[in-house]
Amino acid sequence: MHASNQVAQRRSTTFPLDVLIIDGDKGFTRNCVKTIESSAYTVVGANTAQAGLAVAETSHPRVVIVDWNTPGGNGLEILKSLAEREPTAVPVVVTANATVDAAVEAMKHGAFDFLAKPVDSEKLLETVRRGLDLSSLRKEAAGAEAETDASKKYDLLLQGLDVLGEAYSMGIEKKQLLDELTFLENEAKYHAESLGQIKKKERVILDIRNDLAEVDAILRKYDFQKNSLIQVLLDVQESFRWLPRHILNWISGRLNIPIREIYVIANFYEAFSLAPRGRHTIHVCTGTACHVRGASETLTRISSTLGIAAGETDKDQEFTLETVHCIGCCALAPVVQIDKQYYRDPSKKELEKIIKTLKQEKEEPCLA
Amino acid sequence: METINLTIDGKPVTAEKGTTVLKAAQSVGIKIPTLCHDDRLEDYGGCRMCMVEIETKRGRKRLVASCVYPVEEGLQVQTNTEKVRKIRRMIIELLWPAWQPYAEEYGVTSSRFKTGMTDCSLCGLCVRYCADVKKANRIYFEGRGVDRKPALVEGSELQCRACGECFTLCGSGWIASRC
Amino acid sequence: MSRLKKPADLKKLKKEAVARRGAKKTWLAVCTGTGCRAYGAEPLADSFEGEIARRGIADTVGVRRTGCHGFCERGPLVVIQPEDTCYLGAKPKNVPDIIDRLTTGEGNVEKLLYLDEANGERLSRLEQIPFYKHQKRILLENNVLIDPSDILDYIAVGGYSALAKVLAGMAPEDVLKEVTDANLRGRGGGGFPAGWKWETTRDAPEEPKYVIVNADEGDPGAYMDRSILEGNPHSVLEGLIIGAYTIGASQGFIYVRQEYPLARKHAERALDQAREYGLLGRNILGTDFSFDVKIHRGAGAFVSGESSALMCAIEGHVGEPRPKYIHTSEKGLWGKPSCLNNVETWANVPHIINHGAEWFGRMGTEKSKGTKIFSLVGKVKNTGLVEVPMGITLRDIIFKIGGGVPKGKKFKAVQTGGPSGGVIPESLLDLPVDFDELTKVGSMMGSGGMIVMDENTCMVDTARYYTNFLAHESCGKCVPCREGLRQTLEILNRIAAGRGKEGDLALLEELGEFMEAASLCALGQSAPFPVLSTLKYFRKEYEEHIREKRCAAGVCTELIAYVIDQEKCTACGACFRNCPVDAINKSKDKVFTIIQEKCIKCGACYTACPDKFSAVVKVPATTMQKQSAGAATLHETKA
Repeated sequence: MHASNQVAQRRSTTFPLDVLIIDGDKGFTRNCVKTIESSAYTVVGANTAQAGLAVAETSHPRVVIVDWNTPGGNGLEILKSLAEREPTAVPVVVTANATVDAAVEAMKHGAFDFLAKPVDSEKLLETVRRGLDLSSLRKEAAGAEAETDASKKYDLLLQGLDVLGEAYSMGIEKKQLLDELTFLENEAKYHAESLGQIKKKERVILDIRNDLAEVDAILRKYDFQKNSLIQVLLDVQESFRWLPRHILNWISGRLNIPIREIYVIANFYEAFSLAPRGRHTIHVCTGTACHVRGASETLTRISSTLGIAAGETDKDQEFTLETVHCIGCCALAPVVQIDKQYYRDPSKKELEKIIKTLKQEKEEPCLA
Repeated sequence: METINLTIDGKPVTAEKGTTVLKAAQSVGIKIPTLCHDDRLEDYGGCRMCMVEIETKRGRKRLVASCVYPVEEGLQVQTNTEKVRKIRRMIIELLWPAWQPYAEEYGVTSSRFKTGMTDCSLCGLCVRYCADVKKANRIYFEGRGVDRKPALVEGSELQCRACGECFTLCGSGWIASRC
Repeated sequence: MSRLKKPADLKKLKKEAVARRGAKKTWLAVCTGTGCRAYGAEPLADSFEGEIARRGIADTVGVRRTGCHGFCERGPLVVIQPEDTCYLGAKPKNVPDIIDRLTTGEGNVEKLLYLDEANGERLSRLEQIPFYKHQKRILLENNVLIDPSDILDYIAVGGYSALAKVLAGMAPEDVLKEVTDANLRGRGGGGFPAGWKWETTRDAPEEPKYVIVNADEGDPGAYMDRSILEGNPHSVLEGLIIGAYTIGASQGFIYVRQEYPLARKHAERALDQAREYGLLGRNILGTDFSFDVKIHRGAGAFVSGESSALMCAIEGHVGEPRPKYIHTSEKGLWGKPSCLNNVETWANVPHIINHGAEWFGRMGTEKSKGTKIFSLVGKVKNTGLVEVPMGITLRDIIFKIGGGVPKGKKFKAVQTGGPSGGVIPESLLDLPVDFDELTKVGSMMGSGGMIVMDENTCMVDTARYYTNFLAHESCGKCVPCREGLRQTLEILNRIAAGRGKEGDLALLEELGEFMEAASLCALGQSAPFPVLSTLKYFRKEYEEHIREKRCAAGVCTELIAYVIDQEKCTACGACFRNCPVDAINKSKDKVFTIIQEKCIKCGACYTACPDKFSAVVKVPATTMQKQSAGAATLHETKA
């Protein structure tokens, strides 16, 4: 083991290890360690499969970079043993002779990404960063597994309570028994609560995962092209009805675009919304033709009927009221668009009727 | 290197092809006031302080922003006519009181408009420096039109205070006051 | 259907397409443009189809869902072909009657025909109706004839023949010469000659080159590009392909507003179909020429219609204009030569190729050739899309085609050119409509919005409306546009609220001149026009607002008050039911009054009050203030 390796390993006893590199090429390993260290991550390099797996066992790395042809065991075997011993670690495969088959094989066995040598340092860091993100998600998901434990304990406690309760009802009155009962009751309550929290967290994680899978499907449609950002955001807006922050961060990583640029765009264009929109959108056209035919009266009427101002969403997230500069339906001026339907200057009574019908329509509530 | 000959305020100037009128003027010591221009950044053309009057070889006269207008053979440039002074005075008045380095030179002591709603002139120096030079991408413009305002990417205050390179670019002290 | 392998194959396909159309004797062309859809055109078309099936006459009668016919005011529109019988405002309940007449051949459903108010006559044929009679429909003609989602329909009426002609034997130079000779000028705003643009892009040394369709129709009150793209998308595509061939581009873009979902859908389908027939993609019509098109959705920003901003948006950045001392035709998309024209301009190209520059030049004025589509909207009887030859007078458009101002009101002005244009007063109505004439009087052609205003339109409010629009639609990059608009709006708000000062008008003019001279892009340079033109022709109105605190049109809410004429009120309760803030007092003696302190001046009562009573009236707020003191005491004594 070379110097930097030892330093890093010493550090790893006090810090959680971010990255482990298992690669027979010493020069490559050294360079990677340097690059990753420069971004203030903890990193260890190992040159054989054996050494690497040993480090993995003691320091639980979050991301493991594996060479497909490591001395003392090929990459596939390393991946397999990693999956057994360190299921939360995120493996990344590197190789000098990249083939499609190898890449597919690696992905099949759980590799998160596949890098061809020589590896550009920007690209390496980007992969590490994304790997670490995923590892955090995995850790959280692993937390959910503790649920089984909690649930088992909870069941046992309930049984214990039953037994004790029975004893109590049979007339065995002992202070000790009572104390035991209270203790068990509290214990059960505590576990029930943590169980609930775990479940809730799990649901959130699951939701987020589903969201991200959906976003990935959208990104794939545009070939992960940077210049498709606006199109991607439009699709996200359409499916989620707003641009949730975690999705923007995800897109930023996937397309390698600074989050700043995404905010600029999300803030610039009318179509995007950074807060959840209602299930139904009411657009009041304020184009010139509508304006001269009294669109402002229409707007006031709708606004007072719904109890929200333009640009606002009601508290039940049913309706969002917005103005739009011309929807090109000038003959109907002043025109109102509710979801996909157009209305010519609806009266208060008509509006109330439309709102009532829309409210009755059942639809799955959107993730907020 | 291809060179171009033009005259600025009657002075013959030789400049490299592709350079801007502003840089050509600076090379012979003619000062044109600027706000949003910085040599390290890509030319922006936003503040319009550097507007000058030009007459092309074909005799076409117009007002252009010298920081983005490329030099042309035979171009005649006037950097300080009454027309451009009037424009500059108006800009100073509109940005009042956020930005007033040239107020005295242009005789502006107050504004006829209801200004002072912001302490930022929206020149974009910080935004562009952070993105293009520093590549930190922490500050951006939010909204558009009259709603445009600078904003920090969430959770950037600490890093921004630590870096602080754009503070010196800011004529109104907006960022320093936010970090 | 297989791909067309050579230009001559198109003729064969056309024969088939014509035969397919001819298989049915009668076609019902139901307009399903956005306007008619809102009137219920889809259910109407459904019930036609149902009725036809029920009677078992589907072999001879067909229903065709077409794009916009133009006469949006009277939708849903149905045209029976080949007789061209035009039914206005048909409802599903009229369907059996219409089909009856059709099968028996006994006359028409009279009540659905156009009524000529002058002599009480019913006009049955489309071209008899004054709205259509005075138009010259070239680009819009096929909208009535074809199903926009069916390429064969377009081919049957001669579609893609211009492309076939070009690819069969015209050199790019020949095409360019034809377009230049025709003097086709850009229909999107400035009227820049398309030929020059094409040539500059073609001659620019860099590769690759791009061609772009600007369908980001952002002008409020304009929807002609929408109607072409929805109703005849292939005509735009054909023009674009010809342009790409001429310029030497292999990639094109169509930039569509996201507010136009139907236009996008139809354009997408058109691309797919054109690819299927080998009219788009690799080796078009079996030649060496390859070209494809992508659709890019705009995300809602008026400024994105500006060419450099639009190109920024396609690149995935924020749509901010760049300084353009070098034209986008030389350095545009990704720094490469890019030729951008709007929908209507591209749609003109196939016609020019088919009929020649000389034919095109026969229409219009000396410097503005061909036809122009306007969306005639606002306070006009026949709202809709009109296509007229350049040089027609505004009066002809508004009165002959548009039927004048409704409800016997007095015409005041017409606004053209959208937020970059200006208002034109009655005295200039005999102006021939062409690019240069409109610019001369302080307005512009723009993309073709024509908003008619009557005596109830306030000019200060109009200027304020556009300035407010621009202040929020400007990108905010350059000081003159952003700060100039901010201050202009501030002053206009002040005037509209009755707080205007002497000297405000001079300040507005000074700001306007400054913005025009110093702004970065065309949006800012033209932003003061709505203010300057209203000031030029309606200065008196501004002065009334400032000096007398009076808005004669009764629009500026802070200068008016609503009251109920006690003599006319019949206590029908319409106002009471419609008031959103309960500001109407139902008194015992069955006369209603408005509680001024509660009134938000939304005008709901004014609109609700039946015309036959017209009991709710607008009065100047100043007179109200004097009266209200008296009214309040009266009320108190009663109580």
